[in-house]
Amino acid sequence: MNMLKVADLQKSFGNIAAVKGVSFSVEKGESFGLLGPNGAGKSTTINMITGLFPPTSGAVHIKDIDVIKNTKQAQKLIGIVPQEIALYQTMSARENLKFWGRMYDLSGNMLEKSVDEVLEIIGLTERAKDKVDTFSGGMKRRVNIGAAILHKPELLIMDEPTVGIDPQSRNHILETVKRLNTEGMTIIYTSHYMEEVEYLCKRIGIIDHGELIALGTLQELRETIGDHSKIVFTMEQKELNPKHLTKTLTSLFLEKDIHLNDNQLIIFHKDPQLVLTDLIQLVTKAGTKVTSVDIIEPNLESVFLHLTGRSLRD
Amino acid sequence: MTFWWLAIKDMLIIVRDKKAFLTLVLMPLLLIAILGAAFGDIMKQDEDVSIEKFSLGVANLDKGPLSTVLTNEVFSKGLSKQIKLETYQEERLREKIKNHQLSVGIIIPPNFTASLMSGSETSVRLLTVPDPGIKATIVQTVIEQFSNSISIEVLASRLTEPVNAGNQATIDQSKPTSESIKQPVLKEKTISAKTKPVGSFQYYAAAMSVMFLLMTVVQGVTAMILEKEQDVYKRLLTTNLTYTNYLSGKMLGLMMISLAQAFIIILGTKLLFDVDWGSSIYGLILMTFAFVFNACGLGILAGSFIKSEKVFNVAGSFGTQIMSALGGSMVPLYFFPDWVLWVTKLLPNGLALQTYLDLMSGATIAEILPAVAGSMGLGLLFCAVGLIRLSLGRRKSYA
Repeated sequence: MNMLKVADLQKSFGNIAAVKGVSFSVEKGESFGLLGPNGAGKSTTINMITGLFPPTSGAVHIKDIDVIKNTKQAQKLIGIVPQEIALYQTMSARENLKFWGRMYDLSGNMLEKSVDEVLEIIGLTERAKDKVDTFSGGMKRRVNIGAAILHKPELLIMDEPTVGIDPQSRNHILETVKRLNTEGMTIIYTSHYMEEVEYLCKRIGIIDHGELIALGTLQELRETIGDHSKIVFTMEQKELNPKHLTKTLTSLFLEKDIHLNDNQLIIFHKDPQLVLTDLIQLVTKAGTKVTSVDIIEPNLESVFLHLTGRSLRD
Repeated sequence: MTFWWLAIKDMLIIVRDKKAFLTLVLMPLLLIAILGAAFGDIMKQDEDVSIEKFSLGVANLDKGPLSTVLTNEVFSKGLSKQIKLETYQEERLREKIKNHQLSVGIIIPPNFTASLMSGSETSVRLLTVPDPGIKATIVQTVIEQFSNSISIEVLASRLTEPVNAGNQATIDQSKPTSESIKQPVLKEKTISAKTKPVGSFQYYAAAMSVMFLLMTVVQGVTAMILEKEQDVYKRLLTTNLTYTNYLSGKMLGLMMISLAQAFIIILGTKLLFDVDWGSSIYGLILMTFAFVFNACGLGILAGSFIKSEKVFNVAGSFGTQIMSALGGSMVPLYFFPDWVLWVTKLLPNGLALQTYLDLMSGATIAEILPAVAGSMGLGLLFCAVGLIRLSLGRRKSYA
C-alpha cells in the first residue's frame, strides 16, 4: 500500500522551474531517502508534499488523500522535522512539546501521556523543565524531532535532522529514527550524510536540477555505476593541465569515469587492483605529483558523483 | 482551540521577556511621569504668555441682559488686557471686516438671551478675515465657556463666516444680512454645556498611552515576522492550524498583551498621577478595546505583507513615529487644522486619542459609539485583508 504517491510534480516560480516532473512513491512502513545538493529542488518537493504550498502541476497523495485539495486532512498524517530548529527557545522542552501537541489538537491526559512518551524517546525526561536555549545543538535537534512525533504521525518527513551536532546525539537520533521505522512509521529522510541514508533507508531517490535522476535500493543504485569502485588520487596541487591529463587517461578509461576536481583525480573502475599500476604510471608520466591514492568501495557518494558529476556537499 | 494556545504561547513569551516587560509597562509609566510633568510646565508657561491685544467688533441685536453681560462684563472688563471691544451696527461690522479694518467680529442674534433662558438653541455669528489666527479661537472659546457657564441645558451653536475682502460675491451688500449668513462658509458645530476642559497632564497621559500601545503592536508584529522568517512558522502551518486560526491566534495574543498594557497604564496614571480618564468607565473600556483591535488589525495586516524583520523594524519605527505625530501624541491636536483632524481619525491612534479626550471632557458612552464602531470596522477590514494576503502568499512561497 502506498503511503505517499508523488506524480509528475512541477513547481515554477516565475521563469524558474524549481521542480520538473518528479514522480515516486513510498510504501507504508518504508524508509525512503531523498538526496540532492542545495538548490536541487529537494526542499521545494518536500514543502509541496507537506502541503506548505501547492505545485504548479502534478499530484501528491498521502494514503489516497489529495494533499492539494484536502491539505489539513493530509497533514494530520504527517510529522515534519524541519532543517532549522523550529522551537521556542525561551520555553522549556516540556512546554514546547505541549504547545506543539496542542497544535495537533491533543489535550488533557492524552497530551500529557504523549509528551512523557516523547521525552522518553528523545532521552530528555530529566531535562524536560529546562529552557530550550540552555540545550546543546544535539539536544535541540532531539526536541525538534520530538515535536514532530507527538501526534503519532504515519509519515515522518525529516529534513537534514542531524546537521551540526555531536556524534553522540547523532547516533541517538539515528537509533530513534530506526526504532520509529521498526515500529511501523514511514520515514522520508533527507541528509547530506550518505552513511546515514545508507544506514536508515531501504530506497533512495536522487534529485538534481529539479529532476529525479535516480531511484532504487542502494544495491540498484550501485549497479547504475556498474558497481565501480572509486580511485582517488590526491595531487600536490591543482592540476595545471587538466585537458592533457584527461586525454592521457582516456587511453585506459571511459571519459565519463574520469572526474578532475581541484587537486583530486577520481576514477571509477570495477577492478581497481587490475589498473592501479598502469594508472599511476600514466598520471606520473603526465607530470602530476601524487601525494596519496585511496580506493573506495562503491557507495552512495560515488553513485551521486557518478550521476551528477559533483559531490553532494557542493 | 489552536488559536487560543497560540495566543497563550505569545503571551507567555512576552511575559518572560524582562526587556519587553520593561519596555511595555515601566517605560510608559516613567515617560508619562516625566513628559506629563514637563509638558505640564510648558502649558503653565503658555498660560502666562501675553497675547497681543486685538479689537473685537460686536453687533448686538439682542437687548436682553445676557448679551450685555457677555459684551460688557466678559469681553470689555474681564478680558480688557486682551480685547478692545468696538460696537457697530451689523452692516458696518461686516464692512469693517471685509476691508480688513477688523479681524474678528461677532453678531449676537436678537433672541440670544431669550433662547439661552428658555433652553433652546441659539447662535452667535463669528465673522473673521480668512486667516484670523488665534484671535478667532479665543473669541470662540470665550463664547462657548460663557454659554456653558450659564449652567442651563443648552446647546450653543455658532457660525463661523470668514469675510473675503477680495471676493465681493461673498457678502452682497444689496441683500439682507440674514440671507447671506444662512450659507455657512466653514462649519457649524454644537458644544455640550457639560463639556469639561482637558488638562495638559490628562492630554499627555492619553497621548503617551496611545503611542506606547502602538509600540507594543509594532513589537508584537516584529515577533510575528521573526517567526515567519524561521522554520517554526512552516511547522505551524503543517499542524492543524489554519490560516484563519493563525491570524486569530496572533491577533488575540497581541490584543491580550496590549489590553493588559493599557489596563496597567490607565490604572497606573490614575493611581500615580491622579489622571481623570472621564466618568464613563464602560466608554473607556469599550474605546480601549476598539483601539487595540484596530491597531492590532493594522499590525497584523503589516505582518502579513512584510516578510523581513529588518524591513519591518525600519517601517515599524518610521510608521509609529509618523502615526504618533499625526495622531497628536507629540503635538497637541488643538494646533491641527480641521482637515488634518478629520484625516487623523482614519489612524487608529488619532481616532483613539480624540475619543479619549472626548471621554475626559465628559462624553458619554453613547457619544463615542460612532468612534468605537469606526475603530472596530477598520480593525475588521485590516484583518480581512491580512487573511487574504496570507492565503495568497502561500502560492508564491519558495522553499
